[in-house]
Amino acid sequence: MKPAAFEYHAPRTVDEALALLDAHGDEAKVLAGGQSLVPMMNMRLARPGVVVDINRLPALDYLTLDGGALRIGALCRQRAVERSALTAEHCPLLRDAVRLIGHLQIRNRGTVVGSIAHADPAAEMTAALTILGGEVTATGPGGERTIDADELFVSYLTTSLDPRELITEARFPVLPAGAGWSWTEIARRHGDFALVGVGVVLSVRAGVVADARIALTGVGPTPVRATHAERALAGAAPGDALWEQAAEAVRAEVEPDDDIHASAAYRRHVAGVLTGRALAEAHGRAREAA
Amino acid sequence: MKLEGTQTLPATVETVWKSINDPETLRRCTPGLKELSETGPDAYAATLTVGIAAVKGTYKGTLTLSEKQPTTHLKIILEGTGGPGFMKGEGIVDLEPQGEGTLVKWTGDVQVGGLMAGVGQRMLGGVGKMLIGQFFKCLEQHLGTDA
Amino acid sequence: MAVRKIALRINGKTYTGRAEPRKLLSDFIREDCGLTGTHVGCEHGVCGACTILLDGEAVRSCLLFAVQAEGADLATVEGLADGDRLHPIQQAYQDHHALQCGFCTPGFLMTTLALLRDTPHLTETDIREALAGNLCRCTGYQHIVAAVAAAAAALASGAHPDAYPPFARRVGDSVDPARKERKRNAANDRRTTGAASTRRPRRT
Repeated sequence: MKPAAFEYHAPRTVDEALALLDAHGDEAKVLAGGQSLVPMMNMRLARPGVVVDINRLPALDYLTLDGGALRIGALCRQRAVERSALTAEHCPLLRDAVRLIGHLQIRNRGTVVGSIAHADPAAEMTAALTILGGEVTATGPGGERTIDADELFVSYLTTSLDPRELITEARFPVLPAGAGWSWTEIARRHGDFALVGVGVVLSVRAGVVADARIALTGVGPTPVRATHAERALAGAAPGDALWEQAAEAVRAEVEPDDDIHASAAYRRHVAGVLTGRALAEAHGRAREAA
Repeated sequence: MKLEGTQTLPATVETVWKSINDPETLRRCTPGLKELSETGPDAYAATLTVGIAAVKGTYKGTLTLSEKQPTTHLKIILEGTGGPGFMKGEGIVDLEPQGEGTLVKWTGDVQVGGLMAGVGQRMLGGVGKMLIGQFFKCLEQHLGTDA
Repeated sequence: MAVRKIALRINGKTYTGRAEPRKLLSDFIREDCGLTGTHVGCEHGVCGACTILLDGEAVRSCLLFAVQAEGADLATVEGLADGDRLHPIQQAYQDHHALQCGFCTPGFLMTTLALLRDTPHLTETDIREALAGNLCRCTGYQHIVAAVAAAAAALASGAHPDAYPPFARRVGDSVDPARKERKRNAANDRRTTGAASTRRPRRT
């Protein structure tokens, strides 16, 4: 299958890229890793009239630690984030989520920011941004703006970005000191899109759960924060009974869809199971805050 | 693929019924509808461009209203073929008075074939529900103006 | 659609061609450069038959437009053998009967090349995980895994100093694997902390 014809641009500056997006609006698509866009173009499910290739903008390829967050530039490859000692030390949840994206060859080209902008309902990066309370910088004709994860993901493959905007950076806050984390997914084959994925960040203080965050992917059009389950956990004594209670709360909270890969009932059930396991694993990693 | 839902609309069953049967409403509120031309009583030729984000397809086909029981029950069939494959949606709409408004109960049976179905399976149900939701939201906004 | 001139290097040799922007790199390599060892399977990034190295990284050439590879260094399966002398990885695949129809094999070989270059010491689980992006319909994978393990041993023995020609290295890499690893981490981080976790989440 071959893509339909398009006008191709490979701008050499970010300003040039923005000018192209401004000129072509929703006829243009940004090409970064291409691991989601090009398959769609090859199958002619997407037929952008204009492709703006940002791979000639090395200034957007960076991964730094700054002000308590990992700053990831638009062109930073998933594989770089996966292998970086910065990610391993400061945000291992992000590393655990990144290494489950597709396969190695996909991660060699795919970008973290691209995955966020693509907003697949079963993506890891969208849920990771959500659970860590991250944000992105979007640059467009009106200048730069910051968009929180909560406001970014609107629906299937849909973000609140204007078509003329480019996400230039994503910021993932580092894990709080002493917090335990877990990222776990289920899929029928290694490398498949997750049927359900769950991320947990858990802090313990004075023997009880001080703070808990749970985010799920694959159970709706956008990543889901399991706020009812989080409330059930706050201030409670950790243990299997509590994890099961939270798992039940997640099952009641999520509203997954049926599809040929899994039924809604299966997804609902598995969401609970994975939540329980993730909580137990996160608790095992948590250290009491000093 | 079976979908279903309910929606409350702030208007009487008579107003809602009139709106749903009005080609202007269908023209305005059916997501992605580009052309709608009457071919017979309660029958239309339709062109739709439907999809999500960058994934779009144009379908040409027909829209038919049938099984009409005024102010309570209606069947809508929308089918078309296009580049990404074919689609056929059969919707049953039931209206009930609820307080001062109307409770709309809808069920849909949607078949999608071709490339869109194979590749987009993970999202079809959800996107379908979303598009139907858009239809009712639009309907709600224009109720009363068509009375 | 405006046809463009594209010049790139494959296996150390320069190739030029003219193609529309929508021409896939996999097709450009095969049709314009005449190198048909790179195979086309699914064209949507799942089968791995089209795997090549681009500036040293294993990538799916069906998910790149040829214009994107302007000026790049590619490595394809044709670059492995030295005349009639098989590359140690190819030899291992042959010795362990790791191919039948051979359609998936070039993709597997290129993935294996990058894999062993970067991670000379691997467990069987590591191998299976690393090969997960390449599909084979004939062999059932067992012999491929055995071949990769054997190739790893052969390459680690030091008996093949020229196993990684320049076009098969990452751009900017030195030859020494240990130095490579440190350099890569340093290039990715603003600070090298030396901390690394080897915990890997299991797909359940």
